[in-house]
Amino acid sequence: MTEIAADEDAVVIVGSGAGGGTLAYELTKAGIPCVVLEAGPFLRNEDYHDNEWVAFRQMAWLDARTTSGSWRIAKDFPVLPAWIVKAVGGSTTHWSGATPRFKDYEFKTRTTYGAVEGATLLDWPISLEELAPYYDKAEIAMGSTHRHGRPPLPANNNYKVFANGAERVGYKLYATGPYATNAEPYDDRPASIQDGFNFQGDKNTSKWSTLVREIPRALETGLLDLRPDSHVVRITHDAQGRVDAVLYVDKDGGLHRQAARAVCVAGNSIETPRLLLLSESNRFPNGLANSSDQVGRNYMRHLTGSVYARFDKPVRMYRGETMAGIIADEAAHDPSRGFVGGYYMETLSLGPSFLAAFAEPGGWGPDFAEIMDAYANTAGMWIVGEDMPQAGNRITLSDTVRDQWGLAAPNVHFDDHANDVAMRDYAYEHAQKLYEAVGAVGSHRTPPYPSTHNLGTCRMSERPEDGVVDRWGRAHDVPNLFVSDGSVMTTGGAANPTLTIVALAIRQAEYLAAELKAGNI
Amino acid sequence: MASTAAGEAVAAFTLDPAKDDASRRLIARMVQVMYPHAQFGDEPYLRTADAIFAAAAATPAQKVSFVAALHDLAQAGFADLDDAAALGHLRSIEDTPFFGLVRSTTVVTLYDDPDVWAILGYEGPSFDKGGYVNRGFNDLDWLPEPRIEEYEAGR
Ligand SMILES: Cc1cc2nc3c(=O)[nH]c(=O)nc-3n(C[C@H](O)[C@H](O)[C@H](O)COP(=O)(O)OP(=O)(O)OC[C@H]3O[C@@H](n4cnc5c(N)ncnc54)[C@H](O)[C@@H]3O)c2cc1C
Repeated sequence: MTEIAADEDAVVIVGSGAGGGTLAYELTKAGIPCVVLEAGPFLRNEDYHDNEWVAFRQMAWLDARTTSGSWRIAKDFPVLPAWIVKAVGGSTTHWSGATPRFKDYEFKTRTTYGAVEGATLLDWPISLEELAPYYDKAEIAMGSTHRHGRPPLPANNNYKVFANGAERVGYKLYATGPYATNAEPYDDRPASIQDGFNFQGDKNTSKWSTLVREIPRALETGLLDLRPDSHVVRITHDAQGRVDAVLYVDKDGGLHRQAARAVCVAGNSIETPRLLLLSESNRFPNGLANSSDQVGRNYMRHLTGSVYARFDKPVRMYRGETMAGIIADEAAHDPSRGFVGGYYMETLSLGPSFLAAFAEPGGWGPDFAEIMDAYANTAGMWIVGEDMPQAGNRITLSDTVRDQWGLAAPNVHFDDHANDVAMRDYAYEHAQKLYEAVGAVGSHRTPPYPSTHNLGTCRMSERPEDGVVDRWGRAHDVPNLFVSDGSVMTTGGAANPTLTIVALAIRQAEYLAAELKAGNI
Repeated sequence: MASTAAGEAVAAFTLDPAKDDASRRLIARMVQVMYPHAQFGDEPYLRTADAIFAAAAATPAQKVSFVAALHDLAQAGFADLDDAAALGHLRSIEDTPFFGLVRSTTVVTLYDDPDVWAILGYEGPSFDKGGYVNRGFNDLDWLPEPRIEEYEAGR
């Protein structure tokens, strides 16, 4: 592996997940050496455990965090606001693979929805048209089924219930994808063996992640210096206010400095604003790139909720791909439903270990036992929809709680917006109707899990006062500082975010490479 | 779950419930009332009781309050209550730290038990067996085969 000297001004990328891993590959492919600093270990697919709790403890980000606000997570999981991964590959190692695109109107929600009280809606500075070529590239990179000649995955048992229910209630836009897992061998990786483990990392490598594609290919260029177990704790700047280095802690607590020509932060939408806030200085007293006071605000986490339905015959939802089933009929803006924006329904399955912890947090008694007793006859789906950005939904630094390095832990504050509540109630009701249409004998509304989709905390804006970064993800305040993950999303759309994160990272890499080569950075 | 003379035996204050069979059975009975599954038998509940004792021993302070609550449970004659009365008693202590510890430990123990998985019909890891691709991932036959392609008119 290439070694880049600590005092060499390098392009430094913080995080190796969907955003950081993609950026590292695209830049090294374009001939630009990069240092990737990743807080977590370098685990390979064969290191994964097909066991829910063991895998969670192996890879989830479990550093100290706190919560506040009226969302149910603050009560159910007060120290686990989000489920994200700390390892090379980031959360793409645990993700499931659903890859819908944003729709045209979702880039201009302020214009389309109008003013929504309490929401800080804003149009993106870019359009679908502008992003479309990068969506193509991202789908090809990730091998999305149903796209660019990739065949669909077959129907698994959970999908059979889901799709038949969809048909019976009159939905049309159901399919087994788009889903970034191979139905047939593609891109030097095998077809899915439907082993039922996605959220634990895919031992079979059929599922796209930056661990199986971008990171190894970036290493092959000979231009990537990948440093696992390296947690960035501060970004420093020079007298002109340009970033000039990052400081990071190794796994033994040793401090290191890496000089930087440019810094690209892709730590996921809680750690990214936390790092900027931790990097305050005399020149940037409210945190780096925060003259707008927008760093950490407008935190979004998608609507989410699940419905588990019981039948009098076996389903065995756990056999097969976890989320290879999508219904898009409700993913439209139709205010006659009582809310703005839309949502998707997606198949979902948990094993008994996770179902017990998440189906009804805090639940016990005969009703709870009934949910578990029906396990083999249960079908499940997830609801994922657009939530409203709000200024007060926000990542801040804790005054009291410190992480293992003594750094202020992030607090995640979230209040559901009335629109979120209206959409969730509507979605629950329609999910239950769908299952009733195929003979469910009972169903259960499961509240949101710790957030897997974390968005918006360094949002993209045309005007510097409205957000943190510009149309390229470049900080309005600092010309050689970039944000390269889902934090840049101006609004969240209904779609699962990763395809969009990857498309934005490919687009950013193209811009950054040109700027670096032109000597502008 | 047999509850015969258990009430009598735990009436004395136990400092080390993990070594005390009556305490073990009392906690197992509590878990069984909280998560009643007719097919589980005694063993998974007893294993869960052991995990609860381990969790309760995290600090001396926690252990002291745990054994005190356990003592109260025994004094209340919990072991001899029928299911409905036992459920009612647990509802009355639902907000205590003792109950919280039992519940939160159980949820990640009882259902994370391979014997329980088998009873619930969960087959678990399949990678070493080649996945479920040839082992029934699509064997549901009580509904028609659905379309897997996207809806043509919707494209
Ligand atoms: C169970 C699960 C299922 C999911 N399913 C889907 C799905 O079907 N479709 C979809 O679109 N999305 C899905 N997601 C979400 C998806 O994983 C994320 O949207 C995506 O990975 C986010 O990319 P990112 O680059 O922002 O962050 P991540 O992929 O989380 O990467 C961030 C990386 O940065 C590292 N890091 C953070 N802070 C620092 C620091 N200070 N120094 C060094 N390194 C740091 C972290 O350790 C991590 O490796 C799922 C997520 C989970 C957990």
